[in-house]
This record gives sequence, C-alpha cells and structure tokens, in this order.
Amino acid sequence: MLQEDHPLVKSAGAVSLPAAELNEFVAALMQKYPVVAPIPKGREYVFAQLEDAAQLAKDYQPTILPAKKVLQQPLETIFSFVRQEAFAEDGKCTSLGEEKICFVDNGAAVQKRILFGVRPCDVNSFNVLDEVFCKDLPDPFYCRSRHETLIVAQNCVKPCRSGFCYYQQTGPGLQRGYDLLLTELNDVYLLEVGSEAGRELLALHPFGAASSEMSLAKDELLAAASRRLPKHILTRNLAELLEENVDHPVWDDLQRRCLGCGTCTMVCPTCFCYNVYDKLDLGLESGVRQREWDSCKLMEFSQVALGHNFRKGRQARAQWRIYHKLLYQQRQFGKTGCVGCGRCIYSCMVDIDLTDVAGTLGGE
Amino acid sequence: MSGLPKVAIFKFASCSGCQLEFLNLEPVLLDLLGMVDIAHFVMARSAVSPGPYDIGFVEGSIVNAEDVGRLKEARAESKLLVAIGACATHGGLQAISNWLPMREVENSVYPNPVQTHPLKSFPVSEYVKVDAALSGCPINKYELVEFIKSALLGVTPRIRPHSVCVECKLAENVCLLVSEGKPCLGPVIRAGCSALCPSRATPCTGCHGPSSDCNVESLRNTFVGLGLHQSDITRHFRKYAALDAEFQKGGRT
Repeated sequence: MLQEDHPLVKSAGAVSLPAAELNEFVAALMQKYPVVAPIPKGREYVFAQLEDAAQLAKDYQPTILPAKKVLQQPLETIFSFVRQEAFAEDGKCTSLGEEKICFVDNGAAVQKRILFGVRPCDVNSFNVLDEVFCKDLPDPFYCRSRHETLIVAQNCVKPCRSGFCYYQQTGPGLQRGYDLLLTELNDVYLLEVGSEAGRELLALHPFGAASSEMSLAKDELLAAASRRLPKHILTRNLAELLEENVDHPVWDDLQRRCLGCGTCTMVCPTCFCYNVYDKLDLGLESGVRQREWDSCKLMEFSQVALGHNFRKGRQARAQWRIYHKLLYQQRQFGKTGCVGCGRCIYSCMVDIDLTDVAGTLGGE
Repeated sequence: MSGLPKVAIFKFASCSGCQLEFLNLEPVLLDLLGMVDIAHFVMARSAVSPGPYDIGFVEGSIVNAEDVGRLKEARAESKLLVAIGACATHGGLQAISNWLPMREVENSVYPNPVQTHPLKSFPVSEYVKVDAALSGCPINKYELVEFIKSALLGVTPRIRPHSVCVECKLAENVCLLVSEGKPCLGPVIRAGCSALCPSRATPCTGCHGPSSDCNVESLRNTFVGLGLHQSDITRHFRKYAALDAEFQKGGRT
C-alpha cells in the first residue's frame, strides 16, 4: 500500500508494451503471483483470479461488484471456536467463567497477489476505505489484504456507461495509488511506475522505451474521455445545498421510487459496513464468527435493541446514503465518499441517480 | 421417550414439499435427532407421541373448517408454533383460488366436488398466533436448521428479512432485471434462499414472500416499463403471497 506522500507515487519512468503482448505480460505476472483481474460474466464483468491470461477483459464496463471485494470480502470468517473440557491456556484457548472455549483465529497470512486492470475509480475507493479501516482502529483483515495486494491499474481512455469520475477528481486518469499504471494508446500500452514493487514487476517481461509523444497522447486521450463522460455531477456548493435541502421534494420522489433492495450499497466501492454474526454447528458446541457486507438501505440496519429504528422510513434511508456519500464522508475524511464509478446508477432498477438528485438540488 | 425437546410437524393444505425438507437434511439429520425428539412426523414415522410439543411446525394453508379445528389444537399443543412454507405463511399457490368463483375452482380440481367443502385459502396467522415464520416454496433447509438451533439456544434466529438482491449481489450474479430486462421479483422478495433462481439465470418468482418494507408499487411501475401487460404483472404478484397487504398493491387488477 502506498501513502500519498510516497516519493515513488508520482511516475518515475515509463515503458511501453505492444498491445498484442499484454497477455504475455499478464502470463508472466501469473507465474510470480496470483492475478485477480476483470473477466466477462454473462453481459457483465467480475473480478476473479485468472487461470489463463486470455480470460482477461481488456476493455470492460465496471464490474458488478467493485474491486473492493478483493480487499474486504463479501463474506469472511473471523474466527472459529469450540467448547472443550481440557486444553492448554495458550492464548488461543480461553476460559470464560465456567466455560472453556478455544478460539482459532482465521487471520491466516494473506498471499501476495496482483490486482490487475483496476480502474481509477476503484483505486480511489481504496483511499476512502483506508481511512475507515487502516487509521484509528486498524481492521487486520482489510489492512493485511491491502498491504499484500499490488495494484496494476488501467486508465480509462474510453468512458464507461455511467461514470462521472472526472467531476469527483477520481478519473478517468489515475494520479496516485498504483504500483503500475497502464494506458492504452491505440496498439500500444504505456506503463508508468508508481512504486518500487511496481518497478520490480517490469523485470518479468521485456519492454520498449516510452516516448514523450506517448505521454502526450495519454493526456489527450484522457482529456477527451473526461469530456465524453456520460454523467456529470454538480459539485459547486453541493455541501451547502445538501445541508439546506433536507426537506426538498426530491427526497419524496426517492421515497416513492426506492425499492429498499440494497443493491446500490452492495455495488458501491466505498461502502464499508458489515454485519457480524455467529454460526453454530448443530451440536451447539462449536461454530464460526463471520462477517458479511451490510447495507444502510435495509430496514433492520438501524434497528437497535428493544426494536427502535433510527431510519425506519425508506426515505430516511435513501436520503442517508446520498448524504453519507456526498457530504458526511467529505466532512469526516476530507475526501469524497463517492468516486463516481456510476455502479449505483447503472444497477438501480428504478433509475435512482445521485447525479440527478444533486442536479435537482442545484436547480439544474 | 428421551428428555429432548419434542417437535411436531402438522400438515394442512400443501404439497408436503416443506416437510420433505426435514428429510432432505440427510447429512445432518442424525445430528438433529440427537438434539430434538421428532415426536409427530406422519410422513416419516408411523409412531406418533402425543403432545404437548416444544416446537410445532405447521405446513400448509387453512382451507376448510376442519383445518381450523385441527390448527387450533396444534396451537394449544405447541409452545412455539412455527409456520413453514409459502402456504402456511402467505396462503400459498392455492390462494390464487381466492380470486376465482369457488364453484369454478371446485369443478376444475375435484372429480366429485360434492365431497369437498373448501373455503378460501388463508395463512395460518389468520386463525392462530404464530411465533415464527419460515417462508419459501419450499422452505430453505438451512434456515430451518438455523431456526431449530436458535430455538434450542433461546436466541433470535438469523432469518434474513431483506431482499433477494442482497444475496444476489453477494453472489455477484448478473442482474436479470437491469442487464437482461427480465421481470425479476427479487427486489421485493425476502432472501434466505441464497438467490437460488437468479444464480441459475432464472428470475425470482417470489416464493419467499415479501421482504421487509418492500416497495411493490415501484417495482410494478418498473415492470410496466419493461413492457409487461397489466394482467401479467397482477399474476406475478399474486403467485405466492397475494394476500399480503403490500403485495395486494402489485396484484391489483
């Protein structure tokens, strides 16, 4: 994981690779580390560990689930436990009063791997997740995964179907947060180095030199892509507009349409909420503690003991998501909670679009 | 008999598919029998031990006066009464007869309708207090085990109240509604099935009944947008849980 002030964050040299050789480079990476990359799934794409370099989707629309799923898995086991009559108190096994319970940590060493072809919006989402998971109270699962994951990112020279990253300053070109960065220029890839670990990957395949023309071509393509983005979001005075329009009719419209199904949060690269529960084996003597992605769009999310629910109404929940993404996270972390990937817009079955909401508030 | 908690399984108007899920627990059935005494399960054993029972599972909907009497007895004999399956929780498929003239239904089903005295099909909760409900057609056997474990421990079972979409996204399925324009009921249907049908590229038909705080009206509008005819939309929402107040908005004609 790279800190923003890392001296190697800014590209310190670049090389080129003929487009036809990309698979060979990927195959070389796969020799060294497991490679997780976008592959087709039906009409969509998903991140999955490659078995063959030919599986790689080079030109893809945003994946169903964001690249976040590699770092914070949708479902993971935290530890397992078993009640035992006799055991050594060796740190793993504990006595709880009369009960003797042996805990087995599931935090096994994470294997180093490469996240390949990840787009600028998803890379920027990691910066948001780092704030949540790796600062005051580090989450060992996420931070370990993050630390062991090399990021080979890919700039978006073609706009995706519902992105508005340019307005959130999270794309279509990536500034930082990568080990290697690919940009497709017609029949050649420009590879920029973002870290020492990224530079080491370049030893795995022969590369050509990058020219200054390539660098210019990259800037031009990305500038053109940012002008052709399918969505835009009003950002000027958005914080004030949100604060002053808690009762705006736009929220009534959301309440009427929102299905409360939770899809928008499941596909969001910056949503980080999870639920923790124990699953016991049938003998009731052993079990596992698991965690699973949770969603503020679900009614039970904000329900507390004795049944009170802080956001019982669908409107309150629909509103909360947008306020949290566009206002509260900005306040809390100084960076936007929305990286403009457009997944929530594309995935919504009733066409709820937070860029429309922002536009309506701004009188657009 | 043993000192284990006693379980009874009562059958009403149903196909018995939910009872069968007890037997489909085969890999853990022996473990289960170590935890509870299945005292009344006519499908699986001829010996029936009398109540009272600690847990009474009720399968099937209530369709005639005799059912009502038996149901009240089952309620009286069971400490916990649990409705299992779409018939018991929502009236089930046979509740489509609630919108047809009863004479027409009788004649299309029975060779000699004189012998039958059916009423409309209603869920168990219409007549007695229900302590818990496991919906589905059939019920999900993992939810069944989760419920039994929780009942033995005296804790609230983790029965998913939210939409199928959550489990569908966790499985990273291609959205049948958004990507393929198919009328999937997932957004308003309770999960707990691990998104069984959408994971096999088949739209959710709604056997688990409504999810918590679902917005049927809005999904109905989405279906209109997909080009479905009004009568098709009505049938979609009347299939398993037509009597549910929220689903009546979708099932209106």
